[in-house]
Amino acid sequence: MITRPTDETPEALDELASEYVLGTLSAEQRAEVQQRLRSDIGLRSAIDSWERRLLGLTELAEPLTPSAHLWQRIERSVNALYRQPSTSRAMPPATWWNRLPLWRGLAGAGLAATLLLGAMLLTQTTVKPTYLVVLVAPQDKAPGWVIQASNPREIQLIPLGVVEVPADKALEFWTKAEGWQGPVSLGLVKPGQTLSVPLDKLPPLEPNQLFELTLENPNGSPIGKPTGPIQFIGRAVKVL
Amino acid sequence: MPETLFDYEHHLAACARGERQALRDLYVQESPRLLGVAKRLVRDTALAEDIVHDAFLKIWTGAGRFDPARGSARGWMYSVTRHLALNYLRDHSREVQDDVDVQDNSANTFDFQEHSARIYGCLEQLEPARRNCIVHAYVDGFTHAQISHKLGTPLGTVKAWIKRSLTALRECMG
Repeated sequence: MITRPTDETPEALDELASEYVLGTLSAEQRAEVQQRLRSDIGLRSAIDSWERRLLGLTELAEPLTPSAHLWQRIERSVNALYRQPSTSRAMPPATWWNRLPLWRGLAGAGLAATLLLGAMLLTQTTVKPTYLVVLVAPQDKAPGWVIQASNPREIQLIPLGVVEVPADKALEFWTKAEGWQGPVSLGLVKPGQTLSVPLDKLPPLEPNQLFELTLENPNGSPIGKPTGPIQFIGRAVKVL
Repeated sequence: MPETLFDYEHHLAACARGERQALRDLYVQESPRLLGVAKRLVRDTALAEDIVHDAFLKIWTGAGRFDPARGSARGWMYSVTRHLALNYLRDHSREVQDDVDVQDNSANTFDFQEHSARIYGCLEQLEPARRNCIVHAYVDGFTHAQISHKLGTPLGTVKAWIKRSLTALRECMG
């Protein structure tokens, strides 16, 4: 790890920042600056100031219309971000998460419950969540948990009551967005407890993203995919 | 849409929430100017499109970490694009000869009159040769050595001019 040299004067720091933004540093110096940027707040702030000062110079470059397929390339690459690496060959071929009628039915019920509860929550909370999910029991559609996301990087799973979990089992929390090959585990959940989950390893939340709780072994699913029955399920709805 | 009316921060926040239309809007709004900046730096249109492609992926994935307190959203998009292009230029400097023919790439005179940004007023206070060093570095991505070659000025002088010009710009702009 590269740390800030102890004898670096404020002038030297600002000079480094200015030449980094100007573009005159070598590949090695640039790599060093980019490494330091992660933890060196002083350097970061000096660079931010130089970016601001010199930005007007970008006007000197003549605009150039991109070729028609550049946007398509970008769109394909964005879509590819959501495809999981295909390491899940051992998955059983026809599993419950591929059963479309199940999702359609649950999405409808989940949506209705979500909108209702979302409206209720909005009148009471001060921090406005951008996404809401109500997790309902698949059999009787009884709401059991609410997921609230007031920023796209972290969600909160809030219990609406205490659910019974067999002593030798645990609840595991999963999510799956459109285009993903399978659900991704968000960890184990204790009944009746609010859980905050950072989503920094996942793409940002998207509308209709699926969330569910399944019954698994005490240490969670051994194969990294849901194996036990669904206890609660719902889809993300964006709050306007 | 004029950049003064387009809400870049709002669109970036929408990207952070996973709204792809917001990325499309940013692309429509800014891609010709970003491509122009990248093309001027890497001097090749196909390569410049690769840079802009990578930049928009970075904008999409990094939107959630963007901090408006650190600068404007529009400025951030240019920083992302420029540093991708500059990284490319410097990482491939052994393939591209350092004394690459820069003669016909751009003139040594720049028309600052039509630009209103504060920096142009400050640049005009510099001697023309020193001003050109700054513009060739920032806009054309030239190294100290390339600028020295282009202006026919010794390398040490170019380095000193750039250093002093940057100090003068900081004092002028605050």
